[in-house]
Amino acid sequence: MYMKHETYPAALLELVNEANSAAKAIPPLFPLTSSVAVNPFLGQSGESLAVTAARLARVSGARITPERSYWRAKFAAGDIIEDDLVAALDAIDSQFDRPSLADITAALESDGHIPAKLPNVADLAAEVSGIDWPALIEDRIGVWAASHFDEGQALWQPNRTGGAFTAWREFAQRDLTPEIHGLSGFGAFVAGTNRSHWRAIGRASEAMGLEQEAAATAFHGWLSSLGGWAQYARYLLWQAELNGGTDNAVTELLAIRMVFEEALYTRYADQIGNRWAEIVAQHAMPVTPTRDLVIDAVLQEAAERAQQRWLSDTVAASAPRDHAARPAVQAAFCIDVRSEVFRRALETQNEGIETIGFAGFFGLASAHKAAGSDVTELRGPVLLQPAITSVADEPTEADLDRRYAARAKRAWGRFKLAAVSSFAFVEATGPVYAAKLLHDTMAMDHAAKIDPTPKLDPSVDLDGRIAAAKTILTAMSLTGNFARLVMLAGHGAHVTNNPHESALQCGACGGYAGDVNARLLAQLLNEPAVRKGLAEHGIDIPGDTLFVPALHNTTTDEVTLYEQDLPMGTSRAEVEQLRKWLAAAGEIARRERAVRLPRAKSDADMLRRARDWSELRAEWGLAGCRAFVAAPRGRTEGSELAGKSFLHSYDWREDPGFGVLELIMTAPVVVASWISLQYYGSAVTPDHFGGGNKLLHNVAGGIGVLEGNGGSLRPGLPWQSVHDGEALQHDPLRLTVVIEAPREAMTDILDRHPGVRELFDNRWLHLIAMDDEGKLAWRYRGDLRWEPFAAAHAANRAIAAE
Amino acid sequence: MLYLYLPLLSPAILLIAAAIASRTPGQRPGNVPRMTEWAALAAFAVAALSALLLIIFGKGTSGLIGVGGVGLSVRLDAVSATMLVLVSFIGWIVLRYSATYMDGEQRQGAFTGWMSATLATVLLLVVSGNVIQLALAWMVTSLLLHQLLLFYPNRTTARRAARKKAVIARMSEAALIGAVILLIAAYGTTDIATILSAATPGLMTVAAALLIALAAVLASAQFPAHGWLTEVMEAPTPVSALLHAGVINAGGFLLIRFADVMLAAPAAMALLVMLGGFTALFGGLVMLTQPATKTSLAWSTIAQMAFMVMQCGLALFPLALLHIVAHSLYKAHAFLSAGEAVRNIVAIRRPGPVAVPSARNVLQAFGISIIIYAMVGAVFGFDGKSAQAIALGVILIFGVAYLLAQGFADTAPGALTRRTVIYATVTSVSYFVLQIAAQYVTAGTLPATPAPGALEWTLMILALISFGAVAVAQATFPLWATHPAAAGLRVHLSNGLYMNAVFDKLLGGWSYKNTA
Repeated sequence: MYMKHETYPAALLELVNEANSAAKAIPPLFPLTSSVAVNPFLGQSGESLAVTAARLARVSGARITPERSYWRAKFAAGDIIEDDLVAALDAIDSQFDRPSLADITAALESDGHIPAKLPNVADLAAEVSGIDWPALIEDRIGVWAASHFDEGQALWQPNRTGGAFTAWREFAQRDLTPEIHGLSGFGAFVAGTNRSHWRAIGRASEAMGLEQEAAATAFHGWLSSLGGWAQYARYLLWQAELNGGTDNAVTELLAIRMVFEEALYTRYADQIGNRWAEIVAQHAMPVTPTRDLVIDAVLQEAAERAQQRWLSDTVAASAPRDHAARPAVQAAFCIDVRSEVFRRALETQNEGIETIGFAGFFGLASAHKAAGSDVTELRGPVLLQPAITSVADEPTEADLDRRYAARAKRAWGRFKLAAVSSFAFVEATGPVYAAKLLHDTMAMDHAAKIDPTPKLDPSVDLDGRIAAAKTILTAMSLTGNFARLVMLAGHGAHVTNNPHESALQCGACGGYAGDVNARLLAQLLNEPAVRKGLAEHGIDIPGDTLFVPALHNTTTDEVTLYEQDLPMGTSRAEVEQLRKWLAAAGEIARRERAVRLPRAKSDADMLRRARDWSELRAEWGLAGCRAFVAAPRGRTEGSELAGKSFLHSYDWREDPGFGVLELIMTAPVVVASWISLQYYGSAVTPDHFGGGNKLLHNVAGGIGVLEGNGGSLRPGLPWQSVHDGEALQHDPLRLTVVIEAPREAMTDILDRHPGVRELFDNRWLHLIAMDDEGKLAWRYRGDLRWEPFAAAHAANRAIAAE
Repeated sequence: MLYLYLPLLSPAILLIAAAIASRTPGQRPGNVPRMTEWAALAAFAVAALSALLLIIFGKGTSGLIGVGGVGLSVRLDAVSATMLVLVSFIGWIVLRYSATYMDGEQRQGAFTGWMSATLATVLLLVVSGNVIQLALAWMVTSLLLHQLLLFYPNRTTARRAARKKAVIARMSEAALIGAVILLIAAYGTTDIATILSAATPGLMTVAAALLIALAAVLASAQFPAHGWLTEVMEAPTPVSALLHAGVINAGGFLLIRFADVMLAAPAAMALLVMLGGFTALFGGLVMLTQPATKTSLAWSTIAQMAFMVMQCGLALFPLALLHIVAHSLYKAHAFLSAGEAVRNIVAIRRPGPVAVPSARNVLQAFGISIIIYAMVGAVFGFDGKSAQAIALGVILIFGVAYLLAQGFADTAPGALTRRTVIYATVTSVSYFVLQIAAQYVTAGTLPATPAPGALEWTLMILALISFGAVAVAQATFPLWATHPAAAGLRVHLSNGLYMNAVFDKLLGGWSYKNTA
């Protein structure tokens, strides 16, 4: 932190620390241009589900586990059995007063009670004044914040110099709305606040009698009341820290919210002073889960145990295929759960087809500039700084043409929106929109244009290229027996009129499609000099092996092959054969996916969804994801994993130092946990962690959506992305990670990565080790200890027999 | 003349569809959404056929199905046929969109029913042959719209907006009923065509015209009654599309329908010019500050309706009709494709920074756009154009100048300049052609624009000065926007000059209900 706090009194410094910690309790919200899934419990991953439930209930009244009725139905249907309850009970954190099995079964019949949110000053003021202050504050901050964070919707942008708090003070001193609604003198009150947001927080805390002991959850509560705005500010902090800097937007928003509280407190102190003092005292109490919250956590765990039984049975039923000595095609896909369906379909096409699962950025995180664009797209996992930079490679003239066309279009767009010219625009061109309406209603959208071949810019020297190629091939467990064709398929979703489009793209590519990364890697591996270098490192790529970059369109299950990228004079016949296999596999995959999608009666329906501007459920994305398997493909071949599992190809026997294992456990597993928990949060706590109703979405500033008129930005996934109208399409389960590797190696990695370890120790993720026979054999218990996977079952039976 | 009854078939089909839909109000109501889509297409086909018959057989009013001047009758002429075709086309698009978009909603069947019923009443409104039918259709439309605005009845914000809309609608209805009573009393008939042909200045006519003007501006969300329109994004997107492209036109339609009556009351017309002109600039400026897509579109509608109201006030009724058609098509598309905003905004940033024109560039742009306008005018001919139409053309120049200014900025490459000049020329040509077409189609139906008197000249000059000033301010925007006074103005404008907040306060819109 670069702040100069030396002149602050000790009490204020304590509050500053608490405010900075509260900022970290908020998950980041990535802008919709490149949104990636975020674990909504990111700030709580050091705590168990039950404690987190207690904390979030206190600060926002949120329920973070499904309603009891949901589990009741699963129990009645036999999906969850008593064994699961017993096992879950056994696994519960022993620091709590452990409920009995009878308590749990009895609780299934009730609805359970979630502790109410501790009210803030605005809530109390609303009760005594009859004016809806919380909603008004949300509205006022929303109006300001939407403009402040606007990335280009409004032609008239506000002044932003000095940061959020300064900009807001400028706004709020002039805004007459609070005064109209009865907070007279608010403008002057704002003018009287300190320019330093830290001082403003200090003064408000003092006025409201808030000291360090009570600050943690009180601050967290105020930030929670700001919904997506606080989370977007947290994203700014995230990006700043990734670049080695810092950003105060979150705590500045906290200061803004607290100025409102202070003003209301000053006004209503005589009526609400006593109640507020009680609430402050409650904030100072430690966060402890109630019995109901502990029971909810047990039920959650039991449901996950139940699905692990399913996973164990499914994997046990796998039947590895016979493999040709040298495969005809090796097809590498992203580990994304949507790839699983397609891989299974493709494998049925020919014995000579092998598929590989690998994180879809293919090891090349790139800061990329698309054709005719100055915008840097960070196409890699958001946990990493991109290591390389690339651009779409085309002649200067073509690039300029593209830019001029785009600039003229932009000038036209401004003409359309500006104050006086908009009238001329409507009168002269309005009738053209009759044709546009027809075009769009008939879904006559054309296919997306293919960008020119990307190239590294600046280039990396040969040694660097060879080293990168070696690292990536090793990480893919692809170091020998290369097929004649190796397809590297990134994935992207082609959807229309969908603000949440990026949530359907590749999470490992920063919310973009994976085409650029796949094309860059194919280029690298097709380069003779790189291959020569690789041979010196013991990786022999035969001269007839060709790497073909591709893009798997997850909405239509069509695959684009980037033939224009291939070196001249390569054989096309095999590529043609591959194309046929891909087309046939696409049809099978679509048929399987159609069952889950509403209104998908024919193959044509499935293809049309991508172009239909009125389609809210073009595809299910990663809804339903529940397992992550890192093992050779043979371990899961033939298993019907239903498009709900991340499959990472990994053979520990080829990984002597367990370097690849460490990479998997610290990168793809963490990304997968973010995805799984984002779906979890959006399904279970849609009001706090979900994106709201798509029917009402109003895109704000090009970065996020409002639901309806205004208020707070909505984080997470829209309700329509996890629910089909009748039932949830995402079973809210925390991800089960299955890895075939020696337990000691995994324990060692967990020991060295406390951030990853806490995810497993607190059960935000389950870890199960697969044995040499491909069975789920060992369960990670936490605290670096393991127990036999089936032990719980055996123990239960013993208990039941007593 | 049986063909004159044909237009009634359009609303009839939609009402039957609505009745069928109401029997399965719940989730996934089978083939009801698709059936309604086809019904809307049939209604559109009937509308198109009606327009064709109008061209072949000429305009007229059907006999009255009813007694004592009360009942259903159809006025088929250029105005009603245009509106009929427009609204049924948009209705079809919107219902087709809804069939997929609303899938999975708890009350999809009910929604489908309300949508087609609303559409039917708007169609009944525009084909009205008598004032009773017109007033009734006017009222029922707003009651049905209320149901759609409260599609999510538990949303506080939806209720707040719908309540404001209801208050404005009741005031507008009262004004319309007053006007209807006065017209019947003055002319002794309910037949619209008879009233129009007999319209002469007189106390009752002037009073009726004032009330019509009042009903129209309230229904078109004109200042200060605009607030509700900026808040009804609380209903699903197709409702916004239907509202902004279909229902909101009712005010403008009313003015155009009663053009002959309005002409008899120059004072009412002058008020329309002033209020329309002010709201157009107000709405346009507020829109510049809005960071949310649909909200920005709503402000745009306020401004566009205002411009149309101003055109009516200037007695440029054919142009006002053209504006309604053009705006409806544009706005329906803009709402239905509002989900593309994220893509659109990133596309703005892609080609790098915007070239900022200097004051000299702006001057140059104004000069060139006048030359383009003069050249296009010379080709198509200025003669026969009223002073009012020419004044409006000048406002267009201001708009085109803004487009050109971007291409003329010193840092803009030649290719960009060329493209903007081409766009500007095409826009000007298209503007002229569409105006000629609108004049041609409505000739004989809508009254000619009278020669301006002193009042009209004053208003036109005032309009030109104010639109010109805003246009210059807009084009030179980056040069002054950072001034502190501009920042203050921005705050007040972005809040719509607090009219909505005051309205909320009066209605207790932010009162807190203890639900605990």
